[in-house]
Amino acid sequence: MNFGLLQPWLLLGAIAVAVPIWLHLRRKEEPNLVRFSALRFLDDSPQARSRPLHLRDLVLLALRLSALLLVAAAFAWPYRREPERAIVRESRVYILDNTLSQQANGGFGRDRTRILDELDRLGAEIQVAAIELTALPRVAVGFGDDREVARQRLRDLTPSHQRGSYLAAFRQAHNLLANSLGQQRRIVFYGDHQANQWTEEVNSPPFLERVRLDVAPPPATNAPTLALAEPQLQRVFLGDKAVVHFTAKLTHSGGVTRGQITLRANDQLILNRPVDLAGQPETIVLQAQWEVDPGLWLRGEAGIEGAPDALARDNRVFFVLPPVRVGRVALLARSPYLRLALSPEVMRGYWATRAIEPAQLGEELGRTTDEDVLVVESNYLQSHEARQLVGRYLEQGRGVFLLLDRVAPAIHGALRELGFALPAAPDPTPPAPARLQYFFSNHPVFHPFSSPDYGSLLEVEVRPTSRLDALEGMPLLFSESGDGLFFQGTKFPGRLFVAAFGLDREQTSWPTHLTFIPFLDLCLQNLRPEDATPLEFEPGATAVLSLPAEPPVREVVLRDGTQELRRHPVDQGQAQIRLPDRPGWYALTYDTGIVPERFVAVNPSPKESQLTYLTAPDALRLWQIERPNAAAPAPAALPARLSLAAIWQQRLWWWLLVAGLGALAIETLWTSLRRHSV
Amino acid sequence: MIASPHLTSSVLERFDPRVLAALEGLELKARYVMEGFLAGLHASPFHGFSVEFSDYRDYQPGDDLRHLDWRLFARTDRLHVKRYLQETNVRFYLVCDTSASMAYRGTRAWGTKLEVARILAAALAWFLLRQHDAAGLVAWSGSRAAPHYVRPSQQPAQLGLVLGQLEALRPAGGPCLARLLDQTARLVHRRSVILFFSDLLEPAEDVALGFKQLRFYGHECLIFQVLDRDELEFPFGEAQVFEDLESGLRRAVTPAVAREGYLARFGQFMAHHQELFRSLEMPASVVRTDENPWEALAMFLAQRKRRP
Repeated sequence: MNFGLLQPWLLLGAIAVAVPIWLHLRRKEEPNLVRFSALRFLDDSPQARSRPLHLRDLVLLALRLSALLLVAAAFAWPYRREPERAIVRESRVYILDNTLSQQANGGFGRDRTRILDELDRLGAEIQVAAIELTALPRVAVGFGDDREVARQRLRDLTPSHQRGSYLAAFRQAHNLLANSLGQQRRIVFYGDHQANQWTEEVNSPPFLERVRLDVAPPPATNAPTLALAEPQLQRVFLGDKAVVHFTAKLTHSGGVTRGQITLRANDQLILNRPVDLAGQPETIVLQAQWEVDPGLWLRGEAGIEGAPDALARDNRVFFVLPPVRVGRVALLARSPYLRLALSPEVMRGYWATRAIEPAQLGEELGRTTDEDVLVVESNYLQSHEARQLVGRYLEQGRGVFLLLDRVAPAIHGALRELGFALPAAPDPTPPAPARLQYFFSNHPVFHPFSSPDYGSLLEVEVRPTSRLDALEGMPLLFSESGDGLFFQGTKFPGRLFVAAFGLDREQTSWPTHLTFIPFLDLCLQNLRPEDATPLEFEPGATAVLSLPAEPPVREVVLRDGTQELRRHPVDQGQAQIRLPDRPGWYALTYDTGIVPERFVAVNPSPKESQLTYLTAPDALRLWQIERPNAAAPAPAALPARLSLAAIWQQRLWWWLLVAGLGALAIETLWTSLRRHSV
Repeated sequence: MIASPHLTSSVLERFDPRVLAALEGLELKARYVMEGFLAGLHASPFHGFSVEFSDYRDYQPGDDLRHLDWRLFARTDRLHVKRYLQETNVRFYLVCDTSASMAYRGTRAWGTKLEVARILAAALAWFLLRQHDAAGLVAWSGSRAAPHYVRPSQQPAQLGLVLGQLEALRPAGGPCLARLLDQTARLVHRRSVILFFSDLLEPAEDVALGFKQLRFYGHECLIFQVLDRDELEFPFGEAQVFEDLESGLRRAVTPAVAREGYLARFGQFMAHHQELFRSLEMPASVVRTDENPWEALAMFLAQRKRRP
C-alpha cells in the first residue's frame, strides 16, 4: 500500500516551519543589559561575550513544527492506493464507429454494448481508452478515466449522421498508445467495415507499430438500403414563368422493389407518388420541376420510403435555394436577337442590361464599376479598347460571354490571349450548318436540358463561324461531327463562355427556339460571380461564412426553426460555424435579429449509404509496420488512480488536521503553563 | 564689544531640551541653541569679526568711484573714499568624533553624545558663517573608507554643506580619535582653528601624539568633550550586564561595588587629558548631555575674545 497526494502543491505550506525556527533562533533582548560607553573603566579586562545561537525550548519548537507540518500535509490531502494496481500489462484503445452507415441494423448500439461488457470483465492491469469515430474522431474515454466514468461516457454517446475516417481514428488510437504505459498495445475496432472506407484510404503509408489489431467481424451480408442523396436545384427562367429544376439520386439495393417518393418545398407538397424499383439500376436520378416565386428562399426536403431498408436515416435529403438576385449585363453586340432577349421586356426582374456603344469604349474603360457579365461579339475584338475591356472583366473575376460572329486577323490574337485558337490558314470551305448533337449534361448550364421539359437542344441548328480549338478551356457542346461549338475558358479567374457562332439569323436558329431564353439565363447565371459559400453541408461539418461588411455583424446565430442552436462570433467579416449532427435545413440570423438572412441544408454523405462491407480489408495489413525483432517495452508503473469520491471517503487528511490542531493546543497549553511558572 | 561672555542663571534656565527635541532639522536646532545663547549675552560679540567700515581717506585718482561717500561730498565739498576693515583670515575646522561610544544616551540626557556634538558643531558653524568666517568639517564614520570633509568657505551655501554632512554622521565602529587627528593634520594645511567634539574615551597617550602634531603645525585647538552624566557619575544601582558599545564585550557588574573603582579610574582618565590639554595650551570644556550647552559656547567666545 502506498500513498498519493490529491493537492501536492499545498505541501509548499511546510515552508512555514521556518517561522518557529526563526522565532527560536532570533536574539531576544536581555532585560538587564546596559549598553555602555565607558566599560573600560569598570574592569581592566571585561569578559568576552560568548553567546552562540542555540535552540531553546525544544519541546515547544517540536510542537510548533509538528502542528505546521501536519496541517500542511492535511491540506495536501493524502490518500492510500493499492500497489498491486500499479502494473499495466496492456494498453487498449477501442474504436467505436459512430458513422451513419454503422447505424444500419443498430450496429452502433450493438457494438457499444460489447465494449461495455468487455469493460466489466477487464482487470485493473489493462489500461483502456475509447475513440468515437465521427467526422472528427475524438477521445471519448481517456486512459486516466475511471472505469465507471468510462462506462457513463460510452452510454452518453448518441448515434450520429456523420461520416468519419477510419484512418484518422486509427491514427488517433496509435497516438494514444504511443503515450501509454502498457507492455502490450492493442487497438480493438468496432465498426461496420464499410467497403468504401477501407478502399479509399488504403494508400496511406504504414504507421501502426508494435500494435495488435483486433477487429470485430463485419456483417455477414451487405444490407438492403434505400437512400436519397445529392439534391441539386436550379432556377430555370422560361421567359414567362420561373420554375425550379430539382434532381436527386435515388440509390437502392438488396431487393427493394417499390418505394414512395415525397417532395415538399416551402411547406407545400410538390410530389407524392410511388416508384417502381424492380429491375431499375441501383442509382436513379429523380427529376422534378415546379413553378416558384423567384424572390423567395426555397427550402424543402425529398424522401423515399420502402422496404427492406436497413438504414432509414438516409432516406431524406434537404435542400435550400436562394432567391433570384437581379444581375447586370453589359452588352457589346449588334445581334437583334440578343438585344431583344436581354431587353427589359423579357428579362425584367432577372437581368438589367446596359448596351455599350462602340464609340464609347474609351469611356467604358474609364468606369470604376463593371457589370456582372459582359456579352460581346468577336467583331468588336478588333478594337484594342474592347480587348482591354474583356481582359479587365476576366481578371476581376467577372463573366464574359463571347460570340464568335466574325473572324478577322486581329481576332486571332485576341482569342489566343483568351486561351482559344482559330485555324492558322483561312478555311476555304466554311463549316457546314450542323445540329447540336452532344452536350455536357452534368454542367449547370446544360443539366436542366437533360429533361425534355425545357425543349430539346438537338433541334437547334448552327453554322459555326470557324473551327475553334480550346487551348485552355473545355468544350461543352458538340456538333454531329464532333466539333466543339460551345466552350468554357479556364485561363482566367472570371468565367468565360465562347460560342463558335454568332446569334444572327444566318448563323443559328437558336434564338427562335424554345430553349434559348433558359439557355441564355443559365449561361448568365453561371457566368455571374457567386458567393463562394456553399449551401449544403455534411452533419457535424465546420464551415466558414463570409459576411457582408455593411451593416457590421458581431454574431451569427444558427437556428432550427425558431430555436436558437449556437452563436458564432464574427471576426474580420468571417464566422466559423459548426453544423448540427441532425440532417435538415437551418436558418442563419445575425446578432439579435430573428429574420433569417440565409439558409443552409445538412445532408448525410452519400458514401454512408453504400452498405457494402469488406471482410478482410487490405488497409489493416498495409497500415502496419513490420518489425519482427522489435523488443516489447517493459511493463510500466501506472500511477494508481482512484475516483475523487473514493479519495474523499478516506479520512487520512482529517486525522492529520486533527493531529495538527492537537499539537497547536498542546503548544498553547505548554506556553501558558510556562508563563505561570515564571 | 563685550567684556566677558558670562551667562546669568536666569538665561541658562531658558534652555529647554524639549523645545530642542521638537525642532525639525539640524539647522533649526543649531539656531535655537546659538541665538538663545547670543540673546543672553550682555553685548554683541559680532563687532570686530566681520567686514566693518573703518574710516575715510582722501580720494586719489584711480580709486574706485563706488567707494566715494557722496553725502560727505555734499556736506564738505571734498571727495573722500570709505575704508573698511579686512575680513578675518581665520579658518575654522569642526572635527567630530563618531565612534560607537558617541551613541550613548543616559536616562537624563536630552540627546546622545553624537547628537549633542552635532548640534554644537552646527550652531558654531552657523555662528561662524554669519561672522563671515570660513568654516569646514572633518569627521570619520567608522564604516567609511574616507573621512567626511568639507573645505572651509565663507559662501552662504557652506552652511548647508556642513549641516548635510553633520546630518549624515552615524555612530559606528571602535575608537577612531587617533586616526581622526591624523587625518585632520593631513587635511588642514594653513594655520586654522580646530574645534574638536568628542568624548575622548580613549587613552590619553593614544591621542596625545595627534594633538601634539596639530599644535606643532601651529593650529589652535578647542576641545569640546561631550560626556554623559552616567559616565561622569556612574549612578547605576542594580546588578546589571554591561555591554561595551564599541567592542561588544560584556561584563556583569554590581554598580554599588564597582562605582568607587570606576570613578577613580575615570577621574584619573580626565586628569590625564586635562594635563595633556594644559600642556598643549588647548582650551577644553566638558559638555554634559543633560545640561545646557551654552556654557561650552561661552568658553569658545571667551577664548576667541582673548585672541589679538
